[in-house]
Amino acid sequence: MLGEWKETVRMFPMRKARSFGSHLFHYAILLSLSFVFVYPMLYIVSQSLMQVNDIADATVQWIPKELNFEHFRFAFDRLHFWRSFMNSTVTSLGAALLQIISCAIVGYGFARYRFPGYNVLLGLVLFTFLVPPQTIVVPLYMFFSDLGWINTYLPFLVPSAFGHGLRGALFVLIFIQFFRGLPYQLEESARIDGAGAFRTFRSIMLPLAGPAMLVVFLFSVVWHWNDVFEPNLYFMVSEHYNLPQSLMILNAQAEQQLSEAQKMMGGAMLTSVPTGYNRNMAGALLTILPLVILYGYAQRYFVESLERTGIAGE
Amino acid sequence: MKKPFKISMRGRHILEGYSFISIWVVGFLLFLAVPLGRSLYFAFHRLEITANGLKASPNGFQFFRDAFTVDVGFTPALIHTMTNLVLHVPLILVFAMFSALLLNRPFVGRLAFRSIFFLPVIIASGTVLQKLLDQGAATLPIFLQYDVANKLNDYVPTAVLLPLLSMMDSLTLVIWDSGVQILIFLAALQSVPVSLYEAADMDGATPWEKFWKITLPIITPMILVNTLFSIVNSFTEIRNSVMQYIQMIAFEKNNYGYASALGWIYFVIIFLIILIVLYIFRNAGSNNYNREER
Repeated sequence: MLGEWKETVRMFPMRKARSFGSHLFHYAILLSLSFVFVYPMLYIVSQSLMQVNDIADATVQWIPKELNFEHFRFAFDRLHFWRSFMNSTVTSLGAALLQIISCAIVGYGFARYRFPGYNVLLGLVLFTFLVPPQTIVVPLYMFFSDLGWINTYLPFLVPSAFGHGLRGALFVLIFIQFFRGLPYQLEESARIDGAGAFRTFRSIMLPLAGPAMLVVFLFSVVWHWNDVFEPNLYFMVSEHYNLPQSLMILNAQAEQQLSEAQKMMGGAMLTSVPTGYNRNMAGALLTILPLVILYGYAQRYFVESLERTGIAGE
Repeated sequence: MKKPFKISMRGRHILEGYSFISIWVVGFLLFLAVPLGRSLYFAFHRLEITANGLKASPNGFQFFRDAFTVDVGFTPALIHTMTNLVLHVPLILVFAMFSALLLNRPFVGRLAFRSIFFLPVIIASGTVLQKLLDQGAATLPIFLQYDVANKLNDYVPTAVLLPLLSMMDSLTLVIWDSGVQILIFLAALQSVPVSLYEAADMDGATPWEKFWKITLPIITPMILVNTLFSIVNSFTEIRNSVMQYIQMIAFEKNNYGYASALGWIYFVIIFLIILIVLYIFRNAGSNNYNREER
């Protein structure tokens, strides 16, 4: 709300002063930059629809001659789409929901309470953000394997429930910033009315944290969805692969086809499987499609929320 | 009814605070402190897998010496990662700032453009980005189509042109990598009080002056946040050669001790770089003029 109000105030004198030319220039830059941002999406869509004769046809640059979803059928099959989709969904949605709750609780504790060792603990949160996963990956893997958690969802869900997991520290910091920006009066009146600390948090502060929760949720889902480093460690069998992992193998299969084709050709050099790339792109589109749909639905609230999370220290 | 023991208001406040953060502390011990300690232990020990589990024998600084003297793979990977970092992070910051300033101006379709600028965070990361890179789709076709390289070669010496072109190549990656940073800068720009710009307008400041004298000093803390985020992002990226190397050592060669030592070297270097960044930004806090009041 405040942001919008500021906006109108700010644009008033500027709009008068700005000439038509500078407006045009502004849009030109924005549009050309937007092209760079949309380019991967366009590329993926266009490539995934192309057939062999389109690739050979020099007149075809972006739009294939006919609509053919054959690559999608192939990729859908080879990705084991529904299985991989379920694995991806459980890990990213589960971890994201758990991270929202746990990081909100912890962030609230840091934002509203002062206790002995406060600075040290806050420092440790920052420290956690900086430790590269590579440094602790070996002991962590052993720990989870001792517990028998390999090939289960637990290595993703349990750390998330404790406010850790993928970039958990960052989410805690976002919540700290957000709760610091809320007025104290709300809690004080709740406390005077006799609500305990947890009741106050649950029924007063948590419902207000919508914007921060949305931002954390979206970040967490996106990062978990695209992550292959941890799944590669903890999902060892293909039944548990998530979508990006399956996409990786899709490539491996194409490579294998390539080398087989080379053998058949008696060692003649083939630079690529004619449609291998296009199949890959079909797989890539299927992999990111759920995210694109989610983002398409949430982006309006998301960009507004991000401004309201106080991420920028307002 | 009398309580068994009474605690003061202050004591209760502290206790409540601890109970809120307790889950994080437990998680920290389980999933960070203990693994970190164990990996430090591994780094100084030779591990053997025996029937009764792992057997560790003291190894001193051997792994650390080996990393730089014997191992032919690690140092190049490290240098590659560092060069990428030093080249990309400033570019990302400048580009993100530029885009945020563009998007912050009032115009029709602002929200649509903002959503577009965040799109690569969703699409161009992880495996999908890897695929795009494999296919050479991470370079804009403009450079290839118009044969810019060859045309420029007539005017610019090859020694200068090649690094320049490789930077142009990675420019798309830089642009795609800066989605989150753009949003953080945008939020920061929104938090600059309008009254300051009004006052500057009264005094006849140009937009250029307003940027350097008002905008930049106020959002300096956010530049620090973005720098740290970009550094951590670049260090933990899956395409990062050190990351890939350590993973290979650990899970293909099963050399856990050596992998842990490499992980620690990597961590220490990251930490040094972050200390340098913090040192550069050491005055950022003082620009934080009476922020608490608002």
